[in-house]
Amino acid sequence: MPLRSAPLPRMAGHLSFMRAQPKTIRDLRPGDLAVLGLPFEDTGAPFAGQSLAPRALRETSVYFGWHANPQFSHPVDIDARQEICTDGLHAKLGDLGDLAPVSEDRIHAALREATLQIFRAEACAILLGGSDQLSRTVQKALPGCQAVQFGGTLQVARDFHVAPLPHGTGCSPSAGASLAEFALWRDGSKPLFVRFDLSVFRTSLSALCDRPRLGGCDLETVSQWLGILGQHRVSAIMLTGLNPSRPGMGVVKVGQRLMVTALLAFVYARLGFLAPYAKQVIAEETELT
Amino acid sequence: MTAPLTIFQPPFSQPGFRLFDGPAGDVAEVGTGQIGVVGMPSDWTHSSRLGTRFGPVALRKATTLLHATRPQAASVDPDTGYCSRLAADWVVDCGDAPITPQDVDATTQAIAAMTEALTVGGAIPLALGGDHYNSFPACLGYSRGLIRRAPGARFGYIQIDGHLDFSDRLGAWGTHNHATNARRISELPNVDVANMVWVGITGWVDGGDLALIEQQGGRVFSAGDVHKLGASEVMRQALAHAMQGCDELYLSIDIDAMDAGYLPGTGSIVHSGITPRQYYDLLDGLAEAPLGGLDIVEVSPPLDPSERTEFLAAEMLFRVLRRFRTRPVAAA
Repeated sequence: MPLRSAPLPRMAGHLSFMRAQPKTIRDLRPGDLAVLGLPFEDTGAPFAGQSLAPRALRETSVYFGWHANPQFSHPVDIDARQEICTDGLHAKLGDLGDLAPVSEDRIHAALREATLQIFRAEACAILLGGSDQLSRTVQKALPGCQAVQFGGTLQVARDFHVAPLPHGTGCSPSAGASLAEFALWRDGSKPLFVRFDLSVFRTSLSALCDRPRLGGCDLETVSQWLGILGQHRVSAIMLTGLNPSRPGMGVVKVGQRLMVTALLAFVYARLGFLAPYAKQVIAEETELT
Repeated sequence: MTAPLTIFQPPFSQPGFRLFDGPAGDVAEVGTGQIGVVGMPSDWTHSSRLGTRFGPVALRKATTLLHATRPQAASVDPDTGYCSRLAADWVVDCGDAPITPQDVDATTQAIAAMTEALTVGGAIPLALGGDHYNSFPACLGYSRGLIRRAPGARFGYIQIDGHLDFSDRLGAWGTHNHATNARRISELPNVDVANMVWVGITGWVDGGDLALIEQQGGRVFSAGDVHKLGASEVMRQALAHAMQGCDELYLSIDIDAMDAGYLPGTGSIVHSGITPRQYYDLLDGLAEAPLGGLDIVEVSPPLDPSERTEFLAAEMLFRVLRRFRTRPVAAA
């Protein structure tokens, strides 16, 4: 039986990601998902406020804490008319809390060490940023890792870009050639790191992020990709680009809802629940090949 | 001796806004076939983001401002070729129902009393939310009024919404809140779940609620259905299903079915991908429907500093009330 908490209003009670149980790194088992908040500012960003993002993401995620909420029976994807069984989610998902605000060097060192320990435990780190600057620290902590990039600025040419594409402003289509390209690019012997920046979403959806880009993807495309990546042994996924203090953004909460909704596809796929759209894409892939 | 002063006495108008800049009046003054407006400035039954208590005044202001910018003479809709002139005496704003924040039942009965009085008199109640719970008291009064006006009559129900709102209870909020309004409506004596239709549902929903609806013959059209089938076709099917064996239609418009990228000023945002154009096409499909009553809910001005949400919602009312607001004229 899944462990279920009291029917608390979702803004009340202990705040954790999707109402997950607090865990320490020592508690992690292979296949677990470990949420870690990085509440730090990006000193190069045009506006202050990224440090508030982990809390905003957790607050929004509680809305999706189906497994911990006895008032709901079970989630169904209304478009696919498919039930999603989340039994076991509570055992696999843990919230480690936030990295403590200390000196910059010590923050980088702590993040490096935490990432490495989660990797060695064969768990997957879900890093709630925060500043994109810390993503390089994560990448360095994972020996020889490959990185997939959603949104943000282009960093390394050998990374796999869902969006922005190296040659333009668009978004990789989810089917056919792009998946085949990803399969060719992916080396299963190396850790996989996913950078998920809010700016991956098309401007009409994410206009209030710090660095909106023209073009970008819709929610369905990003969810499909994250559902597919969730079936791989991802060592860390890092959310960046959210700034809840931007005028208007903190009020309407569109950014955090977009990110958490898409992240859910990753979480479900990573734990074997496999969101219906991921199944559909895989089925289409099978037909194509 | 000085000449007597001539005092200029303009016709006085009531300060503040009324819906569509219509006249203010009591529910007893609204005539048969007219729209009677009831404000429901209550968000005490919403579980997360508040602010819809300011919805009625925002809708009144937005419809009045939009009304002033529309052609006042005969005009043609460039999309549809529909040629019309403005109707007179079609709407009366009856003000707000008295809201008792600490007493859901008192609020419920106060709203229901107004919509019941309107329905009994042959008028069509239009209730302005407020959070979506208030749709239940609005429909409750309509249901009671229909029983008194036309005993034995049945009504169909269409809810355009991002969410089912069909839970029996919601945690600490109990049985009467913005997640249970459709469930409470389904328990009214002159509607069957088989005549209830939901349009625009998105994301993950509670599987038990969905099964309960579909087992009893209700229909649910998802946001994906709107994209795949087209808004007009979805509403054509929805209306046909809701009206089977029914005499009138009750319509509940929850603005949150529209994608939050367009419409952020609402309590429970969704990313349905439903555009303003698709939403308006849905409502165009109801412009000739046999409306017995309707509500529009979840407009939360404090959550949208740009104010575009209330104007998008006002346009929804322009669409669905076209039959009342205008009269067709022969094209030149």
